[in-house]
Amino acid sequence: MTAVIDNPMTRSTRAELLRLRKWPAVWVTVAVWVALALMFGYLFPYLSYRTGDLSFAGDGDTRAQLLVEMLPAALPTVLVQGLPMFGGALALVLGAIVAGNGYGWGTWKTVFTQGPSRPTTVGGSLVALTIAVVGILALTLVLFTGVSLVVAGVESQAVTWPAAGALLESFGGGFLVLEMWALLGYTLGTVARGPALAVGLGLVWALVVENLLRGVGALLGPVEAVTEVLPGTAGGSLVGALIDVSANPNETPGILDVLSGGQALVTVTAYCVGLVVLVLVLVRRRDVA
Amino acid sequence: MARTELPAVAVEQLHVVRGGRVVIAGLSCTVRSGRITGLLGPSGSGKSTLIRAIVGVQAVAGGAVRVLGEPAGSPVLRDRVGYVTQSPSVYPGLTVAENVRFFACVLGVSLQDVDRVLEVVDLARYADTMVGRLSGGERSRVSLASALLGSPRLLVLDEPTVGLDPVLRVRLWDLFAALASEGISLLVSSHVMDEAERCDDLLLLRDGALLAEDTPAGLLERTGTDDVEAAFLALIDEGAA
Ligand SMILES: Nc1ncnc2c1ncn2[C@@H]1O[C@H](COP(=O)(O)OP(=O)(O)OP(=O)(O)O)[C@@H](O)[C@H]1O
Ligand SMILES: [Mg+2]
Repeated sequence: MTAVIDNPMTRSTRAELLRLRKWPAVWVTVAVWVALALMFGYLFPYLSYRTGDLSFAGDGDTRAQLLVEMLPAALPTVLVQGLPMFGGALALVLGAIVAGNGYGWGTWKTVFTQGPSRPTTVGGSLVALTIAVVGILALTLVLFTGVSLVVAGVESQAVTWPAAGALLESFGGGFLVLEMWALLGYTLGTVARGPALAVGLGLVWALVVENLLRGVGALLGPVEAVTEVLPGTAGGSLVGALIDVSANPNETPGILDVLSGGQALVTVTAYCVGLVVLVLVLVRRRDVA
Repeated sequence: MARTELPAVAVEQLHVVRGGRVVIAGLSCTVRSGRITGLLGPSGSGKSTLIRAIVGVQAVAGGAVRVLGEPAGSPVLRDRVGYVTQSPSVYPGLTVAENVRFFACVLGVSLQDVDRVLEVVDLARYADTMVGRLSGGERSRVSLASALLGSPRLLVLDEPTVGLDPVLRVRLWDLFAALASEGISLLVSSHVMDEAERCDDLLLLRDGALLAEDTPAGLLERTGTDDVEAAFLALIDEGAA
């Protein structure tokens, strides 16, 4: 414990990691994510596979296709397919409560007078949030791998592993999408100086406003141009590129092919960098109420 | 006593404007080293604002605040000044020990120190209790415990005794006295005038201006009163006359 490198940033990262690890709200968020991901990734497809009722998700898959998508070889796809919708929304909630709670309870005010400087403190907090995002995705991958092995075993299918490159690409892309939403939540929590308003506004934006705008954008040229740079469009397109949505007629909500993979990657990365800069500028400049 | 020691806090001609209103108008005062200084004044008199200026979280419109010889808010002061906000700054979703450990990580002090400060504020029994289930007074002691971590030279406590029962209040003031005897300077705000007698020095604040800066005995003698509350009223009359 004493041998840990002690620089201001690691101090603050360790403090924030402690807070995240011990905080029930974080585990509730993670549990909801895992439950949803397992339900939509494996449980529902498996049920429709077993019952032969293919109306699930109305995506026109055959039974054989359903099975293929539950086997280990399909991990790169299944890992990211839930991210644009509920993955992003839950990452947003996580980011918003991590930033907002400290304002709501006045803890940032105290932390900002103690220990490392404000940008370092918030930097450490962002590192902790990023570690949490990577951890959640890794946990998901481990669970999914286990479940897909079980499916392969129960259905006596040969286990073929996905290409390492494809899995890595999917993990990396998925991480960027989740990180973007988490940072968006963190920014909202910082601007609103509290979790409630940030969570509320963020969710309305991610789940309602973006979809409405995309609907209007399909009819109105100028609006369409705007929707192309929205975080949901960028994240959805990045995932769409990863699972090759254009070759796959699935209608999974939130997955898009509006932007090319390259454009989407650039946009998502730009959001991540831009939001970090914005948060650091905000906390540096502001009076702590 | 005759030593010309550097004051723990020196405030000169401080002006603070909040929400477009002058909240502190040209205030000067000092907090002497190794003593308990009581910052007394009615609600809204500017106690918290002055404290915020001292710990460096308040934008000031003019004047200078020096803390332990450095400008208020300097990075070097971060490890030397402990600050307890008026409303406890704790995470209700964490236990008492986890809250204090959080601040121990922030300050980079050893986790063994956590047990020590919990003993000091008499919360060791509640170490594993969720802070959200504590009473207001217990929560504020969690905040106080965090401020005691490490080895602060100056403790700035904004109304730390609000909501405490008389027994605990006496205990807390005993603790302050013990800390002061170790050479730690304390600035403690309160709007309960009867806490004044536990202080070595007093700063009486009203409407953002200093009414008096004296020892309790000096104040009573000067106003010819026998408690600080009466002295406070006498000073207001004096000012009005
Ligand atoms: N965030 C704010 N914006 C604008 N004005 C404020 C703000 N906070 C406090 N004030 C004003 O500044 C003045 C001094 O407030 P301050 O909080 O320093 O008083 P106080 O002496 O600590 O009072 P209390 O004993 O009630 O805590 C008050 O008149 C208050 O209305
Ligand atoms: Mg106050």
